[in-house]
Amino acid sequence: MNPRLAMVLALAAAACGPKVSKEKPAAADPAYVFPHSTHVDADVDCKACHPMDKATKLEAGVRHVKVPANVTKIQPCADCHDKDFPAFKPPARHAPFRLRFDHAAHLPRVKGDCKRCHTAPPEQGDKQAKAPPMGACTACHEHQQDFAEARCVPCHVDLKGYQPETAFKHEGEWLRAHGALARPSGESCAACHDQTYCAECHSPQTAAGRPSIVFPERVERAYIHRGDYVSRHMIDAGANPASCRRCHGSAFCESCHELQGLSKLSPATGETNANLRRPRSHDQDDWATPGTPGALPRHGPAARRDIASCAGCHDQGAQATCVGCHRVGSPVAGTRSPHPKKFLSAHDRGDISKNEMCRVCHG
Amino acid sequence: MRISIPLAAALALLAGQARAETIDVSSTTMLQIGQQTRGGANPFDPQLETVAPAFEILSIAARDVRNPVLRDLSLFVSTWGSYELAEPRWDTGTPEAKLNGDLVTLYAQARMFGRRVTLRLGREMVSTGVARMIHLDGGELVALLPAGFRLQGYAGVPVTQRFGARTTLRSWSPVGGDLAYGGRVAFAYGLAGYPGRGLELGASANFVEDGGDPVRQEVGADFRLQPFRDLTLTGLAAYSVWEERASELLARASYSVTRRFRIEADARYYAPDLFLARNSILSVFSAEDRRDFGAAFTYELTRALEIGAGYHVIVEPGETEEEKDFVGSEAALQVEWAGGPTRLGLEVDYLDALENGYLAFRVFGRRDFGKFFGTADVLSHLFRESVNGEDFAVTGTVSAGMQLAKGLSVVIAGNAGVTPFLEQTFDVMAKLAYNSIYRAREVR
Repeated sequence: MNPRLAMVLALAAAACGPKVSKEKPAAADPAYVFPHSTHVDADVDCKACHPMDKATKLEAGVRHVKVPANVTKIQPCADCHDKDFPAFKPPARHAPFRLRFDHAAHLPRVKGDCKRCHTAPPEQGDKQAKAPPMGACTACHEHQQDFAEARCVPCHVDLKGYQPETAFKHEGEWLRAHGALARPSGESCAACHDQTYCAECHSPQTAAGRPSIVFPERVERAYIHRGDYVSRHMIDAGANPASCRRCHGSAFCESCHELQGLSKLSPATGETNANLRRPRSHDQDDWATPGTPGALPRHGPAARRDIASCAGCHDQGAQATCVGCHRVGSPVAGTRSPHPKKFLSAHDRGDISKNEMCRVCHG
Repeated sequence: MRISIPLAAALALLAGQARAETIDVSSTTMLQIGQQTRGGANPFDPQLETVAPAFEILSIAARDVRNPVLRDLSLFVSTWGSYELAEPRWDTGTPEAKLNGDLVTLYAQARMFGRRVTLRLGREMVSTGVARMIHLDGGELVALLPAGFRLQGYAGVPVTQRFGARTTLRSWSPVGGDLAYGGRVAFAYGLAGYPGRGLELGASANFVEDGGDPVRQEVGADFRLQPFRDLTLTGLAAYSVWEERASELLARASYSVTRRFRIEADARYYAPDLFLARNSILSVFSAEDRRDFGAAFTYELTRALEIGAGYHVIVEPGETEEEKDFVGSEAALQVEWAGGPTRLGLEVDYLDALENGYLAFRVFGRRDFGKFFGTADVLSHLFRESVNGEDFAVTGTVSAGMQLAKGLSVVIAGNAGVTPFLEQTFDVMAKLAYNSIYRAREVR
């Protein structure tokens, strides 16, 4: 390699090099020891201990706590306390704030009433302060449009650590519900989840493996293919054929069915059609051809009610087994159209020219 | 490959300007050993093959990449590679190759014009409207317009496995094809009060073509209405323009009666054949529809204990055209207890469909011991009609792991079971995972 080019590339690599600090996991904050609710109930002003008038931002290392030392000598403490306590210094907070907030700007607007937002103070034993609900913000701020448009920045640093509530609460039938919410509110989902997260389940064509295999330790996650899914996949597919088809194309099914000697095109076994393993339904005498003259073979109604199941083995375009009999002019085609009424009402002969697939039989 | 010095210098200059504020890195090195069946054409029994893929799975998200041009630039990539140490798995995507790999996502996202325009380019997923989570190589643009309107458009090539041919015939993608495009126009009207209150209405379209032939042509409408804090209504209607009938209708309501008690109800109509590609030869034989509707609840009995149950009626076509619709059932019950380092769960599922059904039980648990953890998970199914001559399947998985230093953790897992297709099955897995966040600047 040209030495000058190597030098320039080395400089580029150095410029790209991570001059970053690794975020250390925040140590757990110690539990609260101060009996907040006792003092709130006694109408002690929060400002007696929390001088927030000049606090313009939330900082992990700054507590904004100044407990009076001589409680027996100052009001309103002296109303209850007849004994002084040793000076109390609250321990430092480690957990970073994920929110930007200016107490100094807000206190005049609520006339110094902290309880307007802080509806529940931290109790003894709590390891985290109870953050005001977001409704406290939106009671004054018109953020509905921002919420609808998933514009959480700049108030929120990010949404890590927040648990969604009400509509977006991830519980109960969340697996069934989340798609219905993502369709109108996909950008809201994106506020917390990158597509790499969605792709863990929603990209079976490119994924390394089933999530339940890659993450067996995540027992709390709702993985639909958990355990021995091979034995029950046909039952689930029969009950809800569209569910499989949202993620899996026919060729995905065939990739396995061919290796198992189930599909007609079976390069792994090279078996003839007669030797293939088939569903039990296919072994009925009148499955492929009518049992009695004029009757319908059984495969017709079965295909009508669940064509997606057929596609798991027979979706090979012009080579599909259906074409041999159903193409126009076939000696066994008969006069009855294989198309359902709803199909015929939507398509006329003009559509044949718009879809090469039609010409396989009508060409 | 030839790289000119001016180009390299320009790259160096740009690299010097661009630096991510936050980089999330996740790396998983995994070895899995198990057995799969092969063949078994009459009159022979299937053969058991040992598979032993070794994986490296990598995911990187670089957020807030500072650069002189775009605001809020983020880059995302998730990818993997594998090597088959024994027989190839069925789902390698390229059965003839020992070495495999794929790109799951690789996209850049930028916000512009005061964050009113979001642009995503690369291998990504589109979820909104009738797109149905389409995975494509292309771009998507979301523009926030005045008066609560939002415009979204996307175009690209549907992704298939292992960079293979994009045609429907051998593509694993449910949409196949070589061109996909669509968009959605939405209107959001926010109501004062609790965040999320308001109405969102959307109209969308999705078209997929394969060599000019139609694969999918759908239009639809969707909504989310949250009239007050605890009630949310959602709905979707999708219509196939090509087949001139509805492909999916969905209505759903969720209501938090109290903080601890939540109920949900939904009703759905769908036409399974319209989930097949329109250029599939099988798309011309069926025009049936199905429906399901039901309700569910979750109740937080205590802070640690939660129960939930749901029941849905499923209506599917009868066995023959003359027969009435079959009315089946789907039910679920969950109990979960999480106290301190211990989590225990019980799930019962019941399915009664026309062709078959099952009753399933699952018991799982996880216990953390400081830097160590262990899990156990047992799942059994009792089939209504036998599967491969067997009435039940039961599998159990145990795993154990340990947090190592600097974001590293190690997990080993073993799975054993008795299934209709395998009298005995054993799998083992070991993985070394690395998860970490690097910050150039903490933003507060």
